[in-house]
Amino acid sequence: MEHAYLGVDVGSISTKGVIIDKQNHLLASQYIWTQGNPIGAVKELVGLLEGQFDKGAHQIVATGVTGSARKLVGAILGATMVKNEITAHAVGTTTFYPDVRTILEIGGQDSKIILVENGVAVDYAMNTLCAAGTGAFLSSQAKRLGIEVEEIGDYALRSTHPTQIAARCTVFAESDLVHKIQMGHPREDIIAGVCNAVAANYLNNVGKGKKIVSPVVFQGGVSKNKGVVAAFERTLGCEVIVDPNGHLMGAIGAAILARRGGARQAFDFDLVDMDFRTREASCGGCSNHCEIICVYRGDQLIDSWGNRCERGAGAH
Amino acid sequence: MAEAKTRSISFPRYAEYNCAFRYIVEQALDCRYVMPPALTRRTMELGTRYSPDFVCTPFKTILGSMIESLEAGADTLLMTHGLCRLGYYGELAEQILRDLGYQFDFINLSDYDMDKKKEYIRIVRRFNPRVNPARFLAEFMVGLKMVEYLDELTAQYYQNCGFDAMDGAYRRAWQDFLTAMYTAHSRADVENGYRTARRAFQSTRLDKPKRPLRVGIVGEFYTAMDAFSNLEVEQKLADMRVEVHRWMNVTNQFLRYGSGQKNLRVKIRDLCRYDMGPTSTANIWYARECAERGFDGIVHVKSAACTPEIDVMPVLQNISADYKIPVLYLTYDAQTSDVGLMTRLEAFYDMIHMRKKVF
Repeated sequence: MEHAYLGVDVGSISTKGVIIDKQNHLLASQYIWTQGNPIGAVKELVGLLEGQFDKGAHQIVATGVTGSARKLVGAILGATMVKNEITAHAVGTTTFYPDVRTILEIGGQDSKIILVENGVAVDYAMNTLCAAGTGAFLSSQAKRLGIEVEEIGDYALRSTHPTQIAARCTVFAESDLVHKIQMGHPREDIIAGVCNAVAANYLNNVGKGKKIVSPVVFQGGVSKNKGVVAAFERTLGCEVIVDPNGHLMGAIGAAILARRGGARQAFDFDLVDMDFRTREASCGGCSNHCEIICVYRGDQLIDSWGNRCERGAGAH
Repeated sequence: MAEAKTRSISFPRYAEYNCAFRYIVEQALDCRYVMPPALTRRTMELGTRYSPDFVCTPFKTILGSMIESLEAGADTLLMTHGLCRLGYYGELAEQILRDLGYQFDFINLSDYDMDKKKEYIRIVRRFNPRVNPARFLAEFMVGLKMVEYLDELTAQYYQNCGFDAMDGAYRRAWQDFLTAMYTAHSRADVENGYRTARRAFQSTRLDKPKRPLRVGIVGEFYTAMDAFSNLEVEQKLADMRVEVHRWMNVTNQFLRYGSGQKNLRVKIRDLCRYDMGPTSTANIWYARECAERGFDGIVHVKSAACTPEIDVMPVLQNISADYKIPVLYLTYDAQTSDVGLMTRLEAFYDMIHMRKKVF
């Protein structure tokens, strides 16, 4: 039986999962919405992956988890590797594009830029304190304009004269946008303007001071938006590569990291039927009131975190 | 009778320097010192509630700490002067606290001309008119010595604690040292505490590779040094087995280079021509120093809305490009969750770790 590796990336908006073999071929992959329920999303994801996976031919021997819910999901899946999403994206992308020099990534709530030289990341930046120009902004504006977020790209490409929209801050961009709508700008032009604003915002904030060198790979959920891709190509003046699996790259990177890491733990799909719940305990040991999160499988405590000193150790 | 008039003085929490404030107040000024409680989430809640929205985070922390000092029985608050907005913070904090109805005496160093020696005597007399000048001077110097020891051992601690091979002995030695400083009553206590800690550091076996990862910390004066405010960024990095270096501390900034920053200014004149704030010159100089000494990375720490440090960032970007050294920029607000910070630090560690193997 061949070895296989599971990679899961649980983001704020979407949950991604892949199963790869030793040659990095995708044996199964799935992309679903997190909908504010990471535990439910992971259970659903694992169920869907199970349907695509041939258990007779392969056996999952290691599990890698990344994304903002990696700690929680790592505890539930019994992961052998829990990695931050920046490293996971860098590793995933450099595996498939060894020559890449710049990785642009825009997800639901965060955006990052990774500069690569000789196949290793040499510098990165990530948005701080502000989620301007991320997928969440695009989807809320799509809702306002009454279209599906998946259609934004097609609308944008139909525009010949994109509307200027302030790119500095999501709040200002939004009021600018409302103003332009009420002035009578056509919908295509406004949508193209929003896409340009996302690209400009990204380059002005996250990409500030970073030298963007070709080849450029663009990934994360927003890379599926052709309007933003076109805006990046126009601004950067070079080709922007979007991998068909770009939205899965974090999960693929997590699976590769799990394979490279030494730890091995066979993975069963039976957790779909298990009951997981979390409980927040507030420690009363001092006035800091640490919020301790406890994760239970059934009635059994499997992990906890959030505690900052030994006084809270007994709080759960 | 004299007892009744003795002031109960407090100064907001600031990294671990309160042990020296306490020593100077009790031994040199012969007053009572009210130790503000350790900074917690409650401090930040109080500070944030009564602060203007767009003030920088240290103001919120300081205000919260002042309120907790007053609750603990302080009747006199001391506030420092400063070269950025900090210079106005005393006035602002006093007004906010008076509006909240607190009764206290406020000694704001911004009200004095700190360039004149005579003014120092006026300040001392205001704390305690019956102070003995000879004793004051002698004990004040012990307090400064304590600051120097503290800074020296803090630097040593963060450079080595990640490589402790004796199950936390390094950390325990460090905590014992802090306890000794917080309870010192005499010069002998300070010297003994220092010597004991040095001996303990030296006798702790370290498991350090020949070329460990080295990271330099630069940034805003309060947030870069105060572990609560920067969510223990130094400890977190050190725990990943990194040598953490920080030049910025009270000793280097005031005691050794107080007026000598001119030298630093000359050293960085090819990078920038003006002082851009209280710490910009030192930060730029030290960032380049780290780059030239072959460090693996630089972490820039600042609170949100700290204008002088925002001005430093473009220069750091130039240093990063010239010397090919990655810089991680961290901005802190009154947040309490360190999940986002951990993501960035882990990624930074992975990056400098992998890149060291290749380059």
